Amino acid sequence: MERSFKQEVEALRLGAGDIFQGEGILAVTKALLQSGVSYVGGYQGAPVSHLMDVMVQARDLLAELGVHVEACTNEAAAAAMLGASLNYPLRGAVTWKSVVGTNVASDALSNLASPGVVGGALIVIGEDYGEGASIIQERSHAFAMKSSIWLLDPRPHLPTIVRMVEMGFELSEASHSLVMLELRIRACHMTGRFAAKTNRRGYYSTVERITEPARFDYAKISHPPGTFMQERLKVEERLPAAQAFIVANKLNEIMPGEIDDIGIIVLGGLAHGVLRALARLRLADLFGHTRVPIYVLNVAYPLAVEELRSFCAGKRAVLVVEEGYPDYIEQAVTVELRRADLNTRVFGKGPLPKAGEYTSDVMLRGIAAFLSETRPPGVAVEPIEARARGIAAHKAEVAAISDLPTRPPTFCTGCPERPVFAALKLVEREIGRTHVSADIGCHSFATMLPFNIGNSILGYGMSLASAAAVAPNFDKRTIAIMGDGGFWHNGLVSGVAGNLFNKGDGVLIIMQNGYTSATGQQYMPSSPAGRDGAPPGMDIATTLRTVGVTWLRTLRSYGVAPMAATLKEAMTSDERGLKVIIADGECQLVRQRRVRADDAHRLERGARVMRTRFGVDDEICTGDHSCIRLSGCPSLTVKPNPDPLRTDPVATVVESCVGCGLCGEVAHAAVLCPSFYRAELVKNASAWDRLRHGLTRSFIRVLGGRDRASAA
Amino acid sequence: MKLPTRPITILIAALGGEGGGVLTDWIVSAASSAGLPVQSTSIPGVAQRTGATTYYIEVLPAAWAELDGAEPVLALSPGAGDVDIVLASELLEAGRALANGFVTDDRTLVVASSHRDYAIAEKMAMGDGRYDSSRLLEAIAQHANASLIFDMKAIARETGAMINAVMLGALFASNRLPIAYEAFTTAIRAAGKAAEANIRGFEAGLETAERLSAAPVIDEPAKRAQPATRRLLALETQAAELFPPQAAATVIDGMRRLFRYQSRAYAKLYVERLKPIAEADRAARADGLLLRETARHLAVRMSYEDVIRVAAAKIAPSRIRRIERDMGAKRGEPVRIVEYLSPGLEETSQVMPVWLARRLLAAAEKRAWLRKLHFAMELNTTSFFGYFRLWTLAKLRPMRPITYRYKEEQRAIEEWLALIAQAATHSAALAFEIAECARLLKGYGDTLSRGRSNYALIETRVVRPALAKEIPPSAACDAIASARTAALVDPDGNGLADCLAAIERQNALSFAAE
Repeated sequence: MERSFKQEVEALRLGAGDIFQGEGILAVTKALLQSGVSYVGGYQGAPVSHLMDVMVQARDLLAELGVHVEACTNEAAAAAMLGASLNYPLRGAVTWKSVVGTNVASDALSNLASPGVVGGALIVIGEDYGEGASIIQERSHAFAMKSSIWLLDPRPHLPTIVRMVEMGFELSEASHSLVMLELRIRACHMTGRFAAKTNRRGYYSTVERITEPARFDYAKISHPPGTFMQERLKVEERLPAAQAFIVANKLNEIMPGEIDDIGIIVLGGLAHGVLRALARLRLADLFGHTRVPIYVLNVAYPLAVEELRSFCAGKRAVLVVEEGYPDYIEQAVTVELRRADLNTRVFGKGPLPKAGEYTSDVMLRGIAAFLSETRPPGVAVEPIEARARGIAAHKAEVAAISDLPTRPPTFCTGCPERPVFAALKLVEREIGRTHVSADIGCHSFATMLPFNIGNSILGYGMSLASAAAVAPNFDKRTIAIMGDGGFWHNGLVSGVAGNLFNKGDGVLIIMQNGYTSATGQQYMPSSPAGRDGAPPGMDIATTLRTVGVTWLRTLRSYGVAPMAATLKEAMTSDERGLKVIIADGECQLVRQRRVRADDAHRLERGARVMRTRFGVDDEICTGDHSCIRLSGCPSLTVKPNPDPLRTDPVATVVESCVGCGLCGEVAHAAVLCPSFYRAELVKNASAWDRLRHGLTRSFIRVLGGRDRASAA
Repeated sequence: MKLPTRPITILIAALGGEGGGVLTDWIVSAASSAGLPVQSTSIPGVAQRTGATTYYIEVLPAAWAELDGAEPVLALSPGAGDVDIVLASELLEAGRALANGFVTDDRTLVVASSHRDYAIAEKMAMGDGRYDSSRLLEAIAQHANASLIFDMKAIARETGAMINAVMLGALFASNRLPIAYEAFTTAIRAAGKAAEANIRGFEAGLETAERLSAAPVIDEPAKRAQPATRRLLALETQAAELFPPQAAATVIDGMRRLFRYQSRAYAKLYVERLKPIAEADRAARADGLLLRETARHLAVRMSYEDVIRVAAAKIAPSRIRRIERDMGAKRGEPVRIVEYLSPGLEETSQVMPVWLARRLLAAAEKRAWLRKLHFAMELNTTSFFGYFRLWTLAKLRPMRPITYRYKEEQRAIEEWLALIAQAATHSAALAFEIAECARLLKGYGDTLSRGRSNYALIETRVVRPALAKEIPPSAACDAIASARTAALVDPDGNGLADCLAAIERQNALSFAAE
């Protein structure tokens, strides 16, 4: 795994009287243990990966508490795990990145939300929205509404987040419903502190097991006739029970203010942004005292209708602050006010944008527009408008350097996936371009410069499936690219089995790097070693043969020329049917962590260690940079030309080079310039090394003569 | 005491995987140990894989103890006009924070390293795609309240520290945080890893920031000039008299280069070739600039890259020493250097006599061998046989004038020089643009043939029509410059094709209008 969470694991042991300090997502993890969960599961993905990572590393503590942790193979499996709370009084939590993870999980979620639960069931979702997000921009809110799942959206304040986790389980049990808790990216990574409580053991657990199976009950089966009764229960009993619980326990917060003919209704997660915007406009102080009343919805769904109405009563206008579209809350607020015949005007999308993250400046301008529209007595609107205009003017002024080159993420130095795309580029030169369906994972960086390879990304493990209707309508074979993570997540069934079943054609490249690398190198079924050190024992090639793939090649991913030749063969072979190429190369980040430690150890012991690095002779390099266009390695960059007669920068390899060999492979396969070299330094050299070195250097000295040539 | 009305806000702009998180943790832990309320957040995600990313910290300038139980509400994202400090580990990222509106002259201090870590679009351009650093520095000077900009990466390298430690030292030196020295060093030590090196980096960053005078200076690395040689003394004195001072240094550098490349006679040929250009320069009142630029390109063109030159460069003792130094080899530690060469028919035929090369190339063309026949080899320069092979090739130098490539190059050079001289009778600017077209001709294999065909396209479709006055003189310079730029934009040649079509369309229109 990318990070060691030793300290964080220790923090999970804190008890009453201790202060927990740390990241938002780790506070949630601690709160789960304080709530007495019996099981935890999930699928990794930013920004909630750390929850699973810490749980996986906290094996000893969890064994003491009797908590079962499952690293699920996808979000659907994680959601199905919550089935334990359907029949038994077990509290449990699962986690994933949303909205994508919720999409994958939705089958199990619907089927579980319908019969409902008896043990508290919490879904912690990382709402990957706004700057830093890596997925499609949608709201998970829709899932909550359609399936009658209650959605918590706590204020970014650790004590509040922790309380919402604990309350979430109670709410779930009080209303027999699933509860989701959403945290946005910045809230997951936010640091803070809260007063810890002692961890609790669940009612049942792996140490005190259930002895009797649940009694048969039609009401627990999401199958007719149960489903019709369950639908009624959801809206007629569970919803009112939830609303009563929310009000009785004051899950939402009202912040009073003297300018009370207007108000702001804000989702908990955005509340501090609103308070800061008000503070920047001198309508609030730094300590949460606001002049404009605020209703903070720590529960985004359902609305506590009476609470909402009493907040709005007597106000001319309210501003609803919710990110993204559709404006579910604005619509609901409007409807509920109309139903009660309240005349408060509802603002929302209008002063605030329909799309995009509500950053500090977006909030400030939205609130300024709202105030400028409503002109509440006691508020000087002109300076507020001036402040908003000032921000806009400043942004226009700095547009002078808005032509900065972008810096998208890319393959790490030495990444085993980069050479595959270099090979693909070379094959394209020979046989022309073809349709490439890309997938989720590090390999999706190939869509960026310098490769720009990939015509679509339709979900995790979906690349082959997404070519199903392109391939038969395309006059060349199509290529699908998939990672090993994607293969086990979904690709084996949706892609490979689907293709074989339908007698499809086409090429599938599987990047076998051994981990789900993009999310922090978690283990997966075909990892070389699992969390307990032993290999999980599943193998992609064996699996493919078993399901019936006949054309299968496994290649070392760094060999550009053999990879190009194999790709060309797959593209042009007369044999019909799926052709799979497994590009095998361990994630370089994992490898380097191990190799560096080993080398340091060997150096200390005085053992022989070889250091390899690549380099470019700047006087031979002509500054055309085709090597960079075929690689994009972070360690291969440019520097000013040291030649006084030439101006174009030359290529150079910087210290971070790990000597993966791609530069040389590309120089050969693409017939580039002769400027690349590989240098190998031997530390703690053997006597033989030294003798050979001494002899050749003497020979070179004899022939070397004057140092004339270097200057040319 | 009066409660603070706003926190001190810090925006960190970093590259993923560089440890911006560590820097954030140090600041948070230093602030915590000083008893100050502090909150940090970040948006790493996949940007951890070398993409641009940011971290954001808010620190209260008053300790918890002074707040009387009040709890500050801290925000998760920065606001324009409300950022006190921008910390950037690289200059372009400082520029990005500025372009996003977070640097304002009422409060923002910019602490940034002046070094550049080039973005992929800058690196992959066929010529020079680098963003102009001076534009970044000007924008910072214009919009920041204050700035501390120096090469923190170089200091990190010298001290063996992470660049973050140097940045932290500069941050401390700025005096904008009410946090004591010990709190920072304790934070670094607590993190454990490489603590001593990082403390050294912190100290060095602190000292450099304190010594820093007003404007940042970015040193271009020194150019590697050609060493003098006695055998050229007379020729050099002659050149210094013959050519205007603006051009003389370049001419002399070119002479030395060509002497080492081939011979004294070759250096003399260079001077002879420049004489008519010097004349044209004078006549066109180009102030020596046309001569200087032509001399620069001519020297590069005359020392074209063939296998003889490559072999000579590979076995140069100074090169082997340089690589050993770069690898950090101690005395006596074995270093092996392995070259990646893929000579083909083209390279081989270049060093053959004209008659042989012509026949071979013709035969190869018929069988489409030229692009296919390449011998990929890894050659160990530091072994007996590897060195000896390269040495033998380098020894072919005296034979160069009878080779095929030599004849081809000299002919092309003469034609190019003639065009420059002819253009100078129209205008110095036009001649200058033609001289600059030599930039297209470089490299080996595919790169070279692409460059040659681009050059030929520009010559026949823009340069010759311009000299024949088929393109109005007012438009000719721009046309050549834009075609040249277009040729360097994409390797597929689409840019150049579009550009040439546009020039011809424009030309037809303007003539129709006249």
